[in-house]
Amino acid sequence: MSVVSDVAITPEPESVTATRRSGSVLRDALKLWRTRIGLVLVVVLVAIASFGPYVAPHSPTAFVGPPFSSPSANARLGADYLGQDVLSRFLWGGRGILAMAALATAFGLVFGSLVGLLAAYSRNWLDDVLMRAMDVILAFPQIMLALVAIATVGPKAWLIVLAVGLTTLPRVARVTRGAAQPIVERDFVGAAEALGVPRYRILGRELLPNIMSPLMVELSLRLTYSIGLIAGLAFLGFATSTNGPNWGTMINQNRIAIQAQPWGVIMPVLAIALLTVGTGLVGDGISRAAAGIERGRPSE
Amino acid sequence: MHSGGIWGFILRRTLLGLLVLAVVSVLVFAATQALPGDPARAILGRSATPDSLAALRAKLHLDQPVLQQYWNWVSGLVHGDLGDSLANQEPVSTYLKPLIINSGFLVLLSGIISIPLAIAIGVWAAVRRDKAFDVGSSLITLLLAALPEFVVGVVLVVLFATVVVQWLPAVTQVPPGGRPWDDMTGMVLPVATLVIAVTPYVARIMRASMIEVLESDYVEMARLKGLRENTVILRHALPNALGPTFQVIAINLAYLAGGVIVVEYVFNFPGIGGALVGGVSNRDLPVVQALAMLVATVYVVLNLIADIATILVTPRMRTTL
Amino acid sequence: MADTPSQRPEDNDSFSLNRRELLMGAGGVLLAGSLAACGSGSSSSSGTTAAAGTPKRGGNFRLAVTGGGAKDIMDGQSIITKPDQARLMTAFETLLVYDTNYILQPHLAEEVTQNKPDQWTIKLKQGIEFSNGKTLTSDDVVYSLQRILNPKLGLFGTSGFASLKPSGIKKLNSTTVQLNLSYADAGIGEQLGQYYNGIVPVGYEAYPAPQHGTGGYILKSFTPGQQSVHTRNPNYWQSGKPYFDQVTITDFTDATAQVNALEAGQADAMTDLPFSNVPVIKGHAGLSVLVSKTGGWLPLCMAIDLTPFTDNRVREAFRLMVDRPQMVEQVLSGYGTVANDLYSPFDPAYNHSLPQRVQDIEKAKSLLKQAGQDGMTVDLHTTNGAAGMVESANVFATQAQAAGVTINVHNDPNYYGDQYLKLAFSVDFWGTRNYLPQVANGSIPGAPYNETHWPPKSGQGSNFLDLYHQALTQVDESKRIPIIHEMQALEYNYGGYIIPFFNDLVDAYSSKVAGFEPSKGTLNLTSFGNGYTTIWFT
Repeated sequence: MSVVSDVAITPEPESVTATRRSGSVLRDALKLWRTRIGLVLVVVLVAIASFGPYVAPHSPTAFVGPPFSSPSANARLGADYLGQDVLSRFLWGGRGILAMAALATAFGLVFGSLVGLLAAYSRNWLDDVLMRAMDVILAFPQIMLALVAIATVGPKAWLIVLAVGLTTLPRVARVTRGAAQPIVERDFVGAAEALGVPRYRILGRELLPNIMSPLMVELSLRLTYSIGLIAGLAFLGFATSTNGPNWGTMINQNRIAIQAQPWGVIMPVLAIALLTVGTGLVGDGISRAAAGIERGRPSE
Repeated sequence: MHSGGIWGFILRRTLLGLLVLAVVSVLVFAATQALPGDPARAILGRSATPDSLAALRAKLHLDQPVLQQYWNWVSGLVHGDLGDSLANQEPVSTYLKPLIINSGFLVLLSGIISIPLAIAIGVWAAVRRDKAFDVGSSLITLLLAALPEFVVGVVLVVLFATVVVQWLPAVTQVPPGGRPWDDMTGMVLPVATLVIAVTPYVARIMRASMIEVLESDYVEMARLKGLRENTVILRHALPNALGPTFQVIAINLAYLAGGVIVVEYVFNFPGIGGALVGGVSNRDLPVVQALAMLVATVYVVLNLIADIATILVTPRMRTTL
Repeated sequence: MADTPSQRPEDNDSFSLNRRELLMGAGGVLLAGSLAACGSGSSSSSGTTAAAGTPKRGGNFRLAVTGGGAKDIMDGQSIITKPDQARLMTAFETLLVYDTNYILQPHLAEEVTQNKPDQWTIKLKQGIEFSNGKTLTSDDVVYSLQRILNPKLGLFGTSGFASLKPSGIKKLNSTTVQLNLSYADAGIGEQLGQYYNGIVPVGYEAYPAPQHGTGGYILKSFTPGQQSVHTRNPNYWQSGKPYFDQVTITDFTDATAQVNALEAGQADAMTDLPFSNVPVIKGHAGLSVLVSKTGGWLPLCMAIDLTPFTDNRVREAFRLMVDRPQMVEQVLSGYGTVANDLYSPFDPAYNHSLPQRVQDIEKAKSLLKQAGQDGMTVDLHTTNGAAGMVESANVFATQAQAAGVTINVHNDPNYYGDQYLKLAFSVDFWGTRNYLPQVANGSIPGAPYNETHWPPKSGQGSNFLDLYHQALTQVDESKRIPIIHEMQALEYNYGGYIIPFFNDLVDAYSSKVAGFEPSKGTLNLTSFGNGYTTIWFT
């Protein structure tokens, strides 16, 4: 996704309410060709990012020739702005982004869903307070909050993860709340309460399973955003290290010589594009499968 | 607390918006306090002497208690005094004004293209659901929406400005005192990037909203009454889709405002995005804070307008007020 | 062009100079000779402008520079960054000027003489006016020098005139000024030739005050961090010049944007083409590359009074960790020559006898171990102030790994404001300059840019300041050179600079612009086309 944000009003994605059959949603999603393609893309790129360092021919800071030299036997994709091996740096360059994006998304998902559930269940002043707090975070584009944070102490890894996670949180919270509210209204929750079932049990056993589908969709959506955002920050010059291998930084560092030596830009652009498209496809597949089940129609 | 009808609603929402902004201002101000080192030293740099440091600290009110500083800053904001840039001691408002105009023009131009486009694509895809156009556009919008916009920007530069052909400028050059519309060729690629980055996602939202409308009881009722599909769509569905459309417009503008940050950097466009990135790099907090408040205000106002417009336009929702 | 003796063909050894041209020593006299239309006394080795055709009038010359920002200034007598240099050169000129062979020539002055070891006389040319119509007289020279001497202003050239007090500046008549120094100083001539010691009118102040200089252009508008526009000065004292109607200087955030602008025809010239981009530009029809083999250097600066560099063994180890040929290859793409931790390669007093350092990782490791610092980690700060600064830091960090040293590179855009000159380890940029003026700029207490905080207060090297004064006051060149050699040996062995190479200055420009030629000097683009007066559109 582009590194822009939602407004406080987020119309619901394809309405997905309780299905209790999140497992079957996944199964149905996998039947779709788009989910499969997306999954393949994601798996391949995550593999490249995770295991790339083990198969890289050179260390990311080893010099293989003059800067921006063309591909050779020693450097299959040529050299970058300092004379380092593009192929090796590409293989090393996804880890940081992926790790930070995964952590930030997990953070946002876990705490966002908690907040959303709590707000939906409370139905009272707590709901209002929580949602106003979410509004505060939502008053910025995601990238802006990250930039303001970086303006204070610089592009530290923990800060970026925190900032991206924090801006993911309210978006997840809204979706969760939106998905949970209809359920809360339903009779069986009222019945459980009347029976004296403790709140956390209600939340855990009744609500949580029923919002798994929208959460899974959110997972892919937010992951797509986070990857794009963190790579974008690196592109702007706010990566965690100046010469560390990083797909976003690579694009910025090497685009000056793109006519002479395009590989330093093409490879990371392709990687980021395919990865985000992959997560997007998976999310869309899950969304369609869930919607298909909800409508009682076989999903396409 | 559902009293007062429309006006009560508007009042409540406005007050809430102000509350949100107030909290935002506290957070944005807190950023200064998190800054390591001494801001006065950061400004004066190598020409700092004990006298000049003391004088600057007094001028910046750094010697006053935190709450007092916050109050100074906020009351300044409200009066349009955004402080002085740490980097060049110029008033932030003077520095930002032409940039705001430039970015505003970029957003406006992109919005004029992307909003109708997104609405059209979304509505048509919803109306012709699961048919060729819907399937095709769904896929394309999905793929484009997933791409980060700096990737879109770099690809466009490669295709149209540097590597493949050189038809368009890779860099937008606007002399100070000049305006972006003086040389429209310089606007093409930035606008194209923003449109490509934002339209797909908004189109998908429009489609989803439109589908909801098409599946609503109200429209089902019209169908059951035996009305022709065209009439159903034109006289019953579309008016109910207006509400979500306002939301969609608000979202679109908000996304554009966020997207300018990266797009301006790619094209060296002299706008608030460039100022923000530069301000962050330089730790020029007055600039960063001013821009943060500006964008937050824009967001809150857009929200507010969209909320109110939706309520006004969708009669059935008024009953829940 | 060959009407003055100082313009005879030079010897081809780029690191030596004809002594007579140096104006050092008692009785050195700069001979009169107007600088004619061809430019500042370029010698035949660099080619004359006649080859480029007859200059034509007209056009708006658009220059793209990086390294600036909202902190841009316009001051006839100071600079911090390259955009500041570019702007200074539009409007301000100096009494003497260095030509493309780095030889001092008269410019605003007709003659500059050191009549006594502690007395210099400046004789102005007649008929030169400032852009506001006021004639240049001794009063302006007096004011200019007094302004430079003012410690409160923090100008670049203050420390170079340490031997001069305001009371020593005497106006003899409307075109002659006498400088009575507090002590003998052979370096005043060189100081008067430094581009940042511009001559300004009485009452002059830096921007935002009005900017009137003797130069070719008048400031029309200036937005710091963005752009400045300069219009042709019709009153310029060199008749027929300048050729452009207007000069527009635009700040760019990075080299990518600069190159893009140049390629798209939105700029006519850019400073500091990244070395790695030379083949790309050369292959581009309509663009040309200007390579000047200068004495410029990008030192890694170790502050000798801050940990971990207080121990000279650490400093020596760091100097031995550098693989200098690899630095030239990876940082400069070959556009430079290996250096030996000493500056001022064009100075006749350059100490060639000190052995060329080469990388010795084993010795470095053992030195670090002795100092108790093996496996150390240190922060290195750099910025985009000049081509190669960031790359130097990154390449050195990689090289240091071999010795077990971890270097964390920080690219600080706010570098020149924030912690500059207080950092333990940083990268900086310098242009061509001879030894004693450079010492005044960076290697003595009170120097404006003393990154290494040299000399130490005690121990080896603590006599550096005394030696400096001895050298300044030593009128006999044959006696001065050994003193300078001793100074250089101290810096070589105990100083804080790691100087891996002398970098070329590489710029790019549209082939529509004529008049650029390679220069050994300090500034890019042939001293910005000698103040944008010796370049034109074909």
